[in-house]
Amino acid sequence: MISQYVDDELSLDEKKDFDSHIESCASCREGLEETRALHRLFASAQRFPAPYGFATKVLANLEEKEGSRLRSLLSVRPFFLRAAQVTFALVVMTIGIISGNLLLAERTDPIGQTAVQETFSLDLFQATPPDSIGGIYNTLMRPSHER
Amino acid sequence: MTKRFKGNDLSEFEALICKYQDRVYNLCHYMVRDPQDAQDVFLKAYRHLKDFRPGASLYTWLYRIAVNTCLDYKRKSRREAFRSEPLSEDLPSGEGSPHQLYESRKIAESIQLALQKLPQKLRAAIVLREIEELSYEEIAEVLHTSVGTVKSRISRAREQLRHLLKKI
Repeated sequence: MISQYVDDELSLDEKKDFDSHIESCASCREGLEETRALHRLFASAQRFPAPYGFATKVLANLEEKEGSRLRSLLSVRPFFLRAAQVTFALVVMTIGIISGNLLLAERTDPIGQTAVQETFSLDLFQATPPDSIGGIYNTLMRPSHER
Repeated sequence: MTKRFKGNDLSEFEALICKYQDRVYNLCHYMVRDPQDAQDVFLKAYRHLKDFRPGASLYTWLYRIAVNTCLDYKRKSRREAFRSEPLSEDLPSGEGSPHQLYESRKIAESIQLALQKLPQKLRAAIVLREIEELSYEEIAEVLHTSVGTVKSRISRAREQLRHLLKKI
């Protein structure tokens, strides 16, 4: 109650009650005087304003910290980008394989299906067909009894 | 005003620092006597601007960050509990003769010494009341507590300070 009285935080009725109480209560009077003295002591104590250039220092500190935070974010980003690129490539390949198989399965004519299979088959691949320069060279270099 | 800070505009933030730097710096001095904490308060404030509710009071929000920063300072025990050397780097505030300035400085040091011996919650309440001159309602808002609790904390803090300052 004494604290609130000193801080002027009592209602009018409470204040009146307290005023009449301290007239008859020596201990509360003493407490009130000590609290007032403490309040005066705080009021007379030095205040510490921010030094000159404080705001500039804070902003410089802020820019430095935010900059390092941004840099750390950027150093992480390429990893995510790489992971995204690899995932995208895998997805494209999978879609290609599946759609290719589906197209092949849809072909009803066995000749056409065989033709497609032969097109992709490595068994039919000739590195030096007889008509090419390599083929002619091979023929010439072969022993005569083999020709 | 706070809506403009949503984009974390540094020039607007600088205006905020300039407006509240003295109050925050002074509060940190009486709470922990470390000016570095005043810088930390504004750095935290900048990062948490998005959490600020437009209806709330800007200075009570800043005070809350300041008090929490000072309390964290103690919890982490980053630095020594209390430095008793004079604060030669701070310029005296206010006007008056050199003798008056010297006296006010000595009083401040005695108060700071006594404050360090108070429990943290009591210290925060009494500093906000006596140093920052906030009302009980504002203190309750800053400390996220009821006005009744604030009354009790201030009363207990004063009682303890009366005894502590008699000894000092």
